[in-house]
Amino acid sequence: MIQRLSTGKQSLDRYLVLGLLCLFALAWVTPLAIVTLSSMKTPREQSQSAILALPENAAMILDNIASASELSGIGNGLVSSLIYASVGSLTAVIVASSAAYSIAMLKIRFPFFWFLIIYSGTVFPFQMYLMPLFQMYQTVGLYDTRAGMLLFYSAIAVPFCIFVFRNYFIGMQGEVIEAASLDGASSFQTWLRIVLPMAKAPALFLFVTQFSWIWNDFLFGQVLAKSDDVRPVMTSLAMLSGTYGKGSIPQQMAGALTASIPTLILFFALQKHFMRGIVLNTAGE
Amino acid sequence: MPETNQVSTEPLRHKVPGTPLDRASPAAPTRAQALFRKIEPYLYLLPALLLVGGLLLYSVAHTIAISFTDWDLITPPLFAGLKNYIDAIRDPTFTRSFTNTLVWTGGSLLLPVGGGLLLAVVLERIPGQRVLKTLIYLPAILSTTVVAAIWSYVYTNHGVLNETLRWVGLDALTRPWMVFAPTNTLAMIVASSWRALGPSMVLFLVGLQTIPPELIEAAKIDGAGERTLFWRIKLPLLRPITAIVVIMSVIGSFMTFDLVWVMTQGGPGRSSETLAVTMYRQAFIMWRMGYAGAVAVILSTIVIAFSVFYLRATLKRSAL
Repeated sequence: MIQRLSTGKQSLDRYLVLGLLCLFALAWVTPLAIVTLSSMKTPREQSQSAILALPENAAMILDNIASASELSGIGNGLVSSLIYASVGSLTAVIVASSAAYSIAMLKIRFPFFWFLIIYSGTVFPFQMYLMPLFQMYQTVGLYDTRAGMLLFYSAIAVPFCIFVFRNYFIGMQGEVIEAASLDGASSFQTWLRIVLPMAKAPALFLFVTQFSWIWNDFLFGQVLAKSDDVRPVMTSLAMLSGTYGKGSIPQQMAGALTASIPTLILFFALQKHFMRGIVLNTAGE
Repeated sequence: MPETNQVSTEPLRHKVPGTPLDRASPAAPTRAQALFRKIEPYLYLLPALLLVGGLLLYSVAHTIAISFTDWDLITPPLFAGLKNYIDAIRDPTFTRSFTNTLVWTGGSLLLPVGGGLLLAVVLERIPGQRVLKTLIYLPAILSTTVVAAIWSYVYTNHGVLNETLRWVGLDALTRPWMVFAPTNTLAMIVASSWRALGPSMVLFLVGLQTIPPELIEAAKIDGAGERTLFWRIKLPLLRPITAIVVIMSVIGSFMTFDLVWVMTQGGPGRSSETLAVTMYRQAFIMWRMGYAGAVAVILSTIVIAFSVFYLRATLKRSAL
């Protein structure tokens, strides 16, 4: 009898905890609802209506996006960032898989030394890169160019990619050597035809994480670019927002929402990879 | 693990068909071919080395050099010895920036890390886990810039927070959140935690899954309550994960830049600057490259010290 009572109490506790957790989770995503609602209002409507009041005309969001874009070049930013994030992470994946192949499977001297040299690129705070890059880019004419941005984003993504590929390649060493010797393949063919196809899973995972890292970057866009058609999307968004922003609140929220759509889509399409990503430790990447 | 790298690819080489020239004289490849075979493996390494070395590692070395000079980017740099470091340590703005950074570190250990652990332990036994987990993780997908934009609206005078406080009748608590220190820094830490809680929670959940259920059952049979279970069994077994989350959080706090720059630019009156913001302001607003370099080097020294712990933890666990 006593036992039954206590289990009854336990399940009551459980429902209480569940209820509280649901409330917490709901409160946690409320800011996202507020962003969406505010992005659909006129500035006047926004200042007069309750925060969670429904917008009079949801299509207002298009006007807000358009005017936010005119103000800060966020539309151009979307295009630029799409190029940086897709081409930059693809380049990094190819470059890193090739280097990791050399480190893990080919005959080179001091493989661990080379690995550490490249991997050390994940250790330094970005503040160590800013001034020399700014000066170098000014000198060689890469400042405020899409090529310059692409080059940098590819470079910054390489060290973490090498870390993941190297671990993966060391794991599959035996199989590859066997397959390659059966085929009588050259080392380039082995990389292209055997190693890369077997490494699809880490390659996809890396592409997605590096894509969203580049997409979300603000700092390097701020330092290495200035014109509307080179500046990445987050740097443009920052011009609208905050204490020194020049956009109205509906414009800011419409901009924030638009800038988040690609990574949100990626997240829901590839949720498992994202969750695995943090487990694999993204180390500030 | 380096020794596994040494596994030679000899069996592969024996079967390499080689070039037509090779076929003509299979026994003696020319000197050029032999040389190519030796350097070929390094060619795969070259693009990565050029990118990382030419852009990143070169910059690190150059920043260290800059920190020992007086330089405004226009006139040639003048050697200044340790002057920039001494200036920084004596500068009250630097001290405040350093203190703010420590507050960021403490706040981030308390809210996203402590909170994430608590949530993970509670969530672990809940039926609707997946949905709740996704909802709490959601803000982590957003860019820090987007988070800054959203929370600027939350904290602005007629923003979400003040309006909500008025609505529930707590008018006395309304205030300009971004104007006075230390309220502005604390408010930004809350904003940052909104983004950081999900990932640390997920990591702790992963850690909890690795605890063998028999261990928990055995402890329960021995009469251990929830509290004993947590302090005596779960927390000690979570130590490797905890180490990683804590170190990542400390490193992240020391590098805090985007959120502060977008929300307050370190102001007003430089009251909410962090080390990274101070560095940026000195370099790109005041053009004091030497001083900025010194701040960057001090910042890096701290971050790298923590990273060494981190690397030890992850390289050991790299099979994960």
